[in-house]
Amino acid sequence: MPTIIKALQSQVGRKLMTGITGIALMLFLVVHLAGNYAIFASAEAFNIYTQKLESLGILLYIAEAGLLFFVLYHSYLGISIWLGKRKARSSGYEVYKSRGGASRQNLASRSMILSGITILVFLVVHIWSFKFGETEMIMSADGEPMRDLRQLVIDSFTTWYIALGYIVILSLIMLHLFHGAWSAFTSLGVKNKNNTHAFKLGAYVFAIVLMLGFIFIPVYIFVTGGMGSLIAY
Amino acid sequence: MSTNMTIHLRYWRQSGPTAKGYFEDRTLSNVNEHMSFLEMLDVLNEELQLEGKDPVEFDYDCREGICGSCNLVINGQAHGPKKGTACCQLHMRNYFDGDHITIEPPRASAFPVIKDLVVDRSAFDRIIEAGGYVSVKTGSAQEANARPIPKNDADLAFDYAACIGCGACVAACPNASASLFTSAKISHLSHLPQGDVERNNRVVAMVEQMEEEGFGDCSNFGECEAVCPKEISIAAIADMRRDYVRAVL
Amino acid sequence: MISLNAKIPEGPIEQKWSRHKKEMKLVAPNNRRKYEVIIVGTGLAGGAAAASMAEMGYKVKSFCIQDSARRAHSIAAQGGINAAKNYPNDGDSVWRLFYDTIKGGDYRSREANVYRLAEVSNSIIDQAVAQGVPFAREYSGLLANRSFGGAQVSRTFYARGQTGQQLLLGAYQAMMRQVELGGIEYYTRHEMLEVVIIDGKARGIITRDLVTGEICRHEADAVILATGGYGNVFYLSTNAKNSNVTASWRAHKKGAMFANPSFVQVHPTCIPVSGDYQSKLTLMSESLRNDGRVWVPRKKGEDRHPNDIPEDERFYYLEEKYPSFGNLVPRDVASRNAKVVCDQGLGVGETGLAVYLDFRDAIARDGKDVIAAKYGNLFDMYANIAGEDPYSQPMRIFPAVHYTMGGLWVDYNLMTNISGLFAAGEANFSDHGANRLGASALMQGLCDGYFVLPSTIGNYLADVEPGTSYGTDHLAFESAAKQAQDSIDRLLNINGKRTIIDFHRTLGRIVWDKIGISRTKKGLEEAIADIRSLRDEFWTNVYVPGEKNNYNKYLEFAGRVADFFELAELMAMDALDRDESCGCHLREEFQTEEGEAIRNDEEFNYVSAWEFKDRNGVLEEELHKELLNFEFVELKQRSYK
Repeated sequence: MPTIIKALQSQVGRKLMTGITGIALMLFLVVHLAGNYAIFASAEAFNIYTQKLESLGILLYIAEAGLLFFVLYHSYLGISIWLGKRKARSSGYEVYKSRGGASRQNLASRSMILSGITILVFLVVHIWSFKFGETEMIMSADGEPMRDLRQLVIDSFTTWYIALGYIVILSLIMLHLFHGAWSAFTSLGVKNKNNTHAFKLGAYVFAIVLMLGFIFIPVYIFVTGGMGSLIAY
Repeated sequence: MSTNMTIHLRYWRQSGPTAKGYFEDRTLSNVNEHMSFLEMLDVLNEELQLEGKDPVEFDYDCREGICGSCNLVINGQAHGPKKGTACCQLHMRNYFDGDHITIEPPRASAFPVIKDLVVDRSAFDRIIEAGGYVSVKTGSAQEANARPIPKNDADLAFDYAACIGCGACVAACPNASASLFTSAKISHLSHLPQGDVERNNRVVAMVEQMEEEGFGDCSNFGECEAVCPKEISIAAIADMRRDYVRAVL
Repeated sequence: MISLNAKIPEGPIEQKWSRHKKEMKLVAPNNRRKYEVIIVGTGLAGGAAAASMAEMGYKVKSFCIQDSARRAHSIAAQGGINAAKNYPNDGDSVWRLFYDTIKGGDYRSREANVYRLAEVSNSIIDQAVAQGVPFAREYSGLLANRSFGGAQVSRTFYARGQTGQQLLLGAYQAMMRQVELGGIEYYTRHEMLEVVIIDGKARGIITRDLVTGEICRHEADAVILATGGYGNVFYLSTNAKNSNVTASWRAHKKGAMFANPSFVQVHPTCIPVSGDYQSKLTLMSESLRNDGRVWVPRKKGEDRHPNDIPEDERFYYLEEKYPSFGNLVPRDVASRNAKVVCDQGLGVGETGLAVYLDFRDAIARDGKDVIAAKYGNLFDMYANIAGEDPYSQPMRIFPAVHYTMGGLWVDYNLMTNISGLFAAGEANFSDHGANRLGASALMQGLCDGYFVLPSTIGNYLADVEPGTSYGTDHLAFESAAKQAQDSIDRLLNINGKRTIIDFHRTLGRIVWDKIGISRTKKGLEEAIADIRSLRDEFWTNVYVPGEKNNYNKYLEFAGRVADFFELAELMAMDALDRDESCGCHLREEFQTEEGEAIRNDEEFNYVSAWEFKDRNGVLEEELHKELLNFEFVELKQRSYK
């Protein structure tokens, strides 16, 4: 039997890890979304939530390191699979067409590498602006200074091009998940002949619900100019 | 009662494994709708020979969709447009008068071109060599009915055993992966008690060999299932991964 | 004069094989690796033999013309494989399988060989199941059986309509295991062109590497030909396009006798021909006759749609003529009767060369689902090829050449009259007499490959000094290689005007018309003349394209067609010699007024074994007769009424 390390480097292992890291990242997105909705809870909830996160200290660093590892490993695997395919088919077809039917070739699956890389670039920008970017400092209820990320969110999303850019990126993530959420479970070997449709449907529902959840916030903020009644002041 | 068509063909020419390939165009008139696709190519070759030209080489044998020799990529689709059909069983009634048809060999680094549309698929043999069997010597078998096998298991095993080894899965896969071929054999044997004993070694050895041959990774595109003349489900690939994890752990 | 000694062991028929196994010489396990055995062909017989012998420790060299052993034409067998397991408890036994096979073969096969076949049949099923062959099963998890033509018991094991495929893959996988273990040297895309004989013993072969065109020499202590049948002499047949007689024929020209060449089985249930471009015929398993009813309209020139023809205007000719076997009469009887009704003008379809095979009643009785489960893939195949839906209207079927009972003459050990040269499976003549029963070809191929040859080869090799080698630059190798190269050069240098396929198609028509389902003296004499003149034209006017040092499929075909010409002539000679009708061989002069065959056991109860003499313009062959001795079965006129 191969060692675990060697097994992870095999085609099956690589795909398996793509699936596992992908599922982990999906779970993270769910948590992230829940956090985002703190913006609707109370005027301070969002900032308290972010403040709490930042005050986790070592735990946060571990979580962040973990996330970073998942993101990088997932990206590395995706890119190496893409490079591998160019090697496995050194000269391409003059004409190539999907047969349709059972095929899962579609915009989502064919663009995994593009959507993936774009998401990666977005992540860098996103983390830069929210984690390390400049923010107004305000006083929290117990008198401690804290970053007004809530205002940053509102300011950002009332700017049309940021809101639009965010929506576009989120749509790309949705596209990525259309294939990714289903594919991950196939990679893990959960799929069988009878549950294929359930997984395919589940992937779509998951991706759509998640993304609508994310997109609702910028849309709402933009449409209401940041003054909507849902946002607690 | 049958109708004749004019078909514009564009096919790959390559004089040998290292030669540079190119496309050649030719128009065939009088293509009968009841002809099989390969019979149409026979007619093309007869015409070429009557003009003193070299015929186009392509692989075929049984012409009834079971030997797996033929493996043309027709208008960008392995075995052409018809579901569950090898190109030897594809009939010209699926085309229209005046159609343009491009014929290419399966393109994969693990399937080097021998000549024109003929490729070397010996990589598949080597994947089976790596473990696609039950190690039972002739004469050492027990009475056939000594071990009942639930009908559903036997039927499922058959679904995977139906693979004809044509390589359409590789040809159609955007990554040129051989996962469906490899996993079909693994799934066939792992659904039967006879294959269970060597299950772990088999999956590891076959996966390693598949990779060594230079096939690409599987990205779950499912194109392989769509073009498979035997419509083998990519559930086999999920099975293979599960077996692999089980073997490693 | 070559003597024909079938070497049938003494004793009661039930004990011949076991006694023979006991008495045969053995090669000790540590000595086996010192012997090399060449096996040409990787179908059921060749593949099974290669795997089994390598498992025993012999050094095996395996050759096939396809790109993989798995593509051998055994793969296309649909219906099933017989065995005398008697699982359905319907009174089957080894004796009954033996008896049915002898009777089905119209008493022109060798009792001892057939009994051994029946005896070994059960082990084949055991072996295949152990390999993971997914045979059809009942809900109990036990193996399912179905009935087949020529038998009144259910003894056929099957794997949907792909039994041959599954059995072949079992043998192929066993072979691949041995390739990995180093027991088999595996040569694909290699065509055998000559046998090399040194001091009267087969010592090797000459092959052409079909990719590079290189002429290669391979030495061994024994050579086994498992190269299939010669149905492609008819051009249109159910054989694969690459199936050919070349290996057998070249061996024949080196002295191996060719037995019963005119015994060719025409399968009753094939999809009819649609046009001149047709390159092959597609068979649908005869198992269809279990549930389908064969009929033609009673009225000539009937132009109604078959579904509109009322019951009393349908002529169920098999059921009427043969009430006890009905649609399940043996293949030859079914084929001949189809021809008879078509000759009477009752045939259906565009060409009038077809009869109906109707599932209306079976669907009404069992439901569409049950019929679909049994024959789904066959129905789909029919719908795809014929463009009609067999669930809603009858299929059109017509007989097509399917299997050749004739082949290289072999003794009980499956050795030809040349020492060290063996023939197995369809390539030999031994077990099916003048007609093969359905589901018996798979049985015979695997019987020869798994169980007979691995035993009998040791008996031969025990007398060969281990490690004997003459070297491939021995004069015999030199001259055989030159012979192979010369015939290729000759073909390439003709540079004529007609294509190879054109010649082959024309030859096929002659053979089908005159050496086909029924034969006459006059027709056979005409056939010989026609074949000769066509052959002469072939050698002056054929166009063989391409080069010899490259992949060149048409060059391969040219060599094979050249051999078919000679074989066709021998087939006609053989049919002409046999002034009787038996099994597949119907001489119109020898039939009753009702069209039933008249067999002549007084004069023709023999195997015709032809020895090649010369070919100077005309083929010269000498006939040797191996008299068949029926000790255990009483010779009877076959009746399926």
